[in-house]
Parts: sequence; C-alpha cells; structure tokens
Amino acid sequence: MNEKRHMGLRTLNRISNTTIYILLIIISIIWLLPFIFIVLQSFRVESTYQVGYVIPHEWGWQNYINLWNSDFKRWYLNTFIIALAAAVFITIIQLCMSYTLSRFRFKLRGPLMRFMLILGMFPGMLTMIILYRVLSDLGLTQANAVPGLILVSVASSGMGYYVSKGFFDTIPKSLDEAARVDGATRFQVLYKIILPLAKPIVIYTILTAFMGPWGDFVFARYVAFGTSSGYNVAVGMYSWLTNDQIARMYTTFCAGGVIVAVPVTILFLCLQKYYVEGVTGGAVKG
Amino acid sequence: MASVKLTGVKKIYDNKVVAVHDFDLDIHDKEFVVFVGPSGCGKSTTLRMIAGLEDISEGTVEIDGEVVNDLQPKDRGIAMVFQNYALYPHMSVYDNIAFSLRLKKVPEDVVYEKVTNAAEVLGITDYLMRKPRALSGGQRQRVAIGRAMVRDSKVFLMDEPLSNLDAKLRNQMRAEIILLRQKLDTTFIYVTHDQTEAMTLGDRIVIMKDGFIMQVGTPTEVFEMPHNLFVAEFIGAPKMNIVKTNLLLENGKYYVTPFGAKIPVEGEKGRMLAEKNVQPQEILLGVRPEHIVLSEGGEHAIPCSLVVNEMMGSELHLHVDTADGSRLIVRIPTIDLDSAGRSELVAGHDLHITFEGKAMHFFDPGTEKNLLV
Ligand SMILES: Nc1ncnc2c1ncn2[C@@H]1O[C@H](COP(=O)(O)OP(=O)(O)O)[C@@H](O)[C@H]1O
Ligand SMILES: [Mg+2]
Repeated sequence: MNEKRHMGLRTLNRISNTTIYILLIIISIIWLLPFIFIVLQSFRVESTYQVGYVIPHEWGWQNYINLWNSDFKRWYLNTFIIALAAAVFITIIQLCMSYTLSRFRFKLRGPLMRFMLILGMFPGMLTMIILYRVLSDLGLTQANAVPGLILVSVASSGMGYYVSKGFFDTIPKSLDEAARVDGATRFQVLYKIILPLAKPIVIYTILTAFMGPWGDFVFARYVAFGTSSGYNVAVGMYSWLTNDQIARMYTTFCAGGVIVAVPVTILFLCLQKYYVEGVTGGAVKG
Repeated sequence: MASVKLTGVKKIYDNKVVAVHDFDLDIHDKEFVVFVGPSGCGKSTTLRMIAGLEDISEGTVEIDGEVVNDLQPKDRGIAMVFQNYALYPHMSVYDNIAFSLRLKKVPEDVVYEKVTNAAEVLGITDYLMRKPRALSGGQRQRVAIGRAMVRDSKVFLMDEPLSNLDAKLRNQMRAEIILLRQKLDTTFIYVTHDQTEAMTLGDRIVIMKDGFIMQVGTPTEVFEMPHNLFVAEFIGAPKMNIVKTNLLLENGKYYVTPFGAKIPVEGEKGRMLAEKNVQPQEILLGVRPEHIVLSEGGEHAIPCSLVVNEMMGSELHLHVDTADGSRLIVRIPTIDLDSAGRSELVAGHDLHITFEGKAMHFFDPGTEKNLLV
C-alpha cells in the first residue's frame, strides 16, 4: 500500500513538472519573438524600410557595414565607456557603503539610512533640470557628455546600498569577528570574507550598475542634446527613427539593436551561475 | 607567560543595558578559568571585552601586565573559538586554519607544517580539503579549535564551544578539551552555561548572575562552600534542596528543625557555626540531594511521600513531597537498596528521610549569604 502511495506521488510530481515546463517554454517563446524579429530584420538587404513580412528575401551584412560607416561606432564607444566606468565606481562605492552600514555602528547611522532611502524615492527626473545646469556650468554637456553622464550616475550611487546591505546583514557577524581575531583589518574582512561570500550580490551590483547607463536614454539625450559626438547608442539610434530617416535607416537600426544586445547577453551568460550559487551554507551550525 | 587581569570592568551597551558590573578578576598564567552562569548574565560580554570585540565602558583589562583596552583583537595575543564555530564557509578546512598565518605573511612551508600538525592533533587530517559545510558539528568544532591553535596565542578564549553539539559528542569533546589544554599549556578562559562543564574543566570557576560575580573559586570550593544561595543552587545537579527552617543552639550543639524533625549539625559544619558564634535564628537550609538519606523514623526523620522515581542507572532520583507540600529531591545510589527495597519505591509510597548533619549549608534568609563565610 505504501508502495502504491509512493508511486502516486511520483506520478503527480511528474505531471505538475511537465505542466510547468510547457508553460515556461510557451512564455519564453513569446519573450523571444521580438528578438528573433529584430535579428531577422537586421539581415534583410533587399530594402531598408519597414515591411509586412518577417523572413528576409535577401540576406546580407549590408546593415552592419552601414553601422560601421556611421556615427554608431562613436556612440557605442561612448556608451561602453560610461557603462564601464559607472560599473566600476558604483560597485566600489555601493559595496563599501553597504559594508559600512551593515557592520559599523556610529552616530546618526539610522537617520542617515532613512534619509537616503527617502531621498531615493523621489524620481530622478525631478533633478534633471538642475543637474543639467550644474553639468553645463562644469562644462560637462554636449561634446563632454560622457564624463558628465559618468559623474551623474556615480554621484548618487551610495544611496543604492539597501540590496547589498541586506545581503551583508545575513552574513554572520561572528565571521568578521573571527577574522579580526585572526588578524584581518576591516578592509581585509571585506575583501577576504564578505565579498567572496556575497559573490552573487557583487555580480548583481556590477550588472545593474552596468545596465543602467547602457540603456539610458532620457538623461543621456538631455545632456548630449544636439551634439552627435556626445550621444550614447540609445540617443544616437533614436535619431534614425525620425520621419525623414526611418525609411533609409530602419534595417540599420535593427542591426544596431543586435550589436547593443551582444555585450549584455554575454555578461549575463557568463555571470548567471553566480545568481544560483548559494555560498553561505556551513558558516554557522545547521 | 600570560596572566589576564580585569579591574573594575564594566559594560554598558548603547541601549543603557548594564551587562557587566565592576568585574574584578586575576587570572594566572596557564590557568583554566571558566565563566559560568545562566543565559544573559554577561559571560560572553566579558569574554568579548577581553578579546577586544566589545568596547570596555569602564575599568581596565590587562594581558601580561599591559593594558589592552585600546588594542585591536589581533594585537592582544589572543585566540578565540566561537559558539557557532564561525568557520569561513568559502574556504577549505586547510585555508580556514591557515588564514591567520597567511595574514601574518608566514612562509607557505611553515603554514603547511603548522596546519598539518594541528590537524594531526585534532584528528581532522582527512578533511583538510573539504569545505566546512561538508563537515559534521563535531568536526567543525575541531576546525574552529585548530584555527585558534595555530595562532600560538597567549590566551585561549572559548565561548560556549560545546553547546551546539549533542550530549554524547559534548562529553567526548569535553575530554578532548582537557587533553588540548595539557598540550597547549596556555591560559584558557572558557564560557559556558553548563555547570557540569564548568566543574570538570575549570581550575577556577567564576559564577555570574545579572552581570555580577557571585563567587570565584575552585570547583571544590564552590561546591562545598557556596558563598550564597545562587551559587548553591546553580552548582550541582540535581540542584540543592532549600528549606526554610530554624537553627537551634542547645547545650553548645546546633540543630536544625526542618518539617518538625530535629537534626543535629555535625562535624566541621557544627564547629564552624560555633567558631563564627552564629546565633539561633531563622535560616534557609541547603541540602544536596545526595546528602539526604532514607531513614527508619524517629526524632530526626521527616515523613514524606514519593511522587516520582527517576531511575538513572547507578542512582535513583526520588522526588518526594513533605507533609506541608514542599518538594525535595533525594539521590540514592542504586546499590544501597536491595531489589525488594527498590520495588517498594513507587509513586504514592510513604517513606522517611533525614539530612546528613555534616553536609548542610546555612543561608541568611534576607541576604541569601552563607552564614559560614
Ligand atoms: N549588542 C548588545 N546590545 C545590547 N545589549 C546586549 C548586547 N549583547 C548583549 N546584550 C545584553 O547584555 C546582557 C549579557 O549578555 P551576554 O553577555 O551575551 O550574556 P551570556 O553570554 O551570559 O548569555 C544580556 O542582558 C543581553 O541582553
Ligand atoms: Mg553567551
């Protein structure tokens, strides 16, 4: 009888698993459709405007060659520089901030945290005009938009402490203490103990810090307004979508979209396993 | 050479909780001192102040005659084993033990030698390449000890190192800590809430309550001459029976009168009462369960009825109620009874007990202090 019940459970499990898989497959197909569509369009060379079919009649690299000969290179480089610099600085600042708030006790720590949390709730758009004024006074707009945009994204990054602080809080403090007794400085505790244990959150921080400027449009457009050499990809490519350009540039636009997606896709493919990895097991009893 | 001296040490936490009051203690070189007391009495706080993990609000901590109040943990020459082991989960056992040596930039071949030596001593050589999560509780505990061992520190601090282990493993590890202590031959400060651990491990025991030291002494001293009611009840298991009664003085001889019986105080205790010239008065009488015996009746006998009989193997723990409803615990070696006597001892059975006159403790009902101290 026991055996029978066991079998019954297993069958049930299998059925529910199958259902979940089928659902997930359907969802991912729906998700992938737009990407597949854009990739196909980017290889269409018989015409450059929007058409009513999906599979290209003639395949070729012409759109990518067009990209290479346009300002796209410059925009791409701009975006890459901004995103990379932002990723490096934001990651450092945010992780140090989180470590400090998680491990140190000092006067006004609580109020400071609340203050930053509330400040972070205001939409960034509100500050756009004044930020633009400041940047323009510093000479960091239009042609100098790249350093300007780096400055803007890095400047407020300490306020994004809560995700990583929350994670650091789950790492037992006795590990810090053991390391300090073992002779580690506070900084060594951070990079020899906390960061290796918080690898998923470090990766997450790097990815989000990189992705923000990579996909930025509104602010980038505002700061670089009218000067092509200061554009990032999103702003630059947007200029191809105006009424007089779109018929000529539509397929090139799609090719640009594919190129923009490449580094992000690679980043995610390389780093996704760290999301899954649970590293804290065995730190304390249990 | 490492003595530890605490003078007027006090800890006030940010939330105004005073966790430790005026702690004075002189720990000699190579002494094994145990802090024991119920949970929340400030043992860990005191240990952590010695380690440098907690600021000292008032007073001084000296290690080897040097005031260390403002030194970082790593500069105090201490090693510490934590209750939850605090192993670095992302490092192998080898790397865990080697961590402090590598921070000191010790050459890798010396590191290898020290780590393998420690592993040998602790019997964890086979697990050196494993991660902590692949170890059992006892193995983790050994790694934690190994990590502290290789530091060659002057003082070895342990905060409830055995309390996460099951009873059997705890007994085994307790014996190993005694061996370890012989091998390391340094000063140990050991924190536990378990009086058995304290009694078996400590050269001296510091019994604490609510941030105050209740008594400092060797296991024998605290067991035989508890300075106050708290220590009397805390040390020893099952715990000491306390009875409110009167102390009488007749013809130069002291008697106690629990539950209507009249029992003479004998031996050294009687002499000490006389020396101290203790006057007849109301007292709290303390008698350990092993110092209560079955009796045939008579002037010194207390009638009572058996409520629970716990068979512990080599001894019986009898929970008995006296006529006025007070519960006493009596501990009787099993071999003192023949099988007929044993089979009689069922719940509801009426019996007579009496207290051994030479093993009684007398406390002032007001101050709860031992009248003989
Ligand atoms: N970080 C802290 N902040 C405030 N109070 C604390 C802190 N740590 C411990 N305490 C308090 O100090 C007292 C002693 O704690 P502790 O030394 O951990 O006791 P024990 O180790 O003897 O169980 C307790 O009342 C506890 O609540
Ligand atoms: Mg404790």
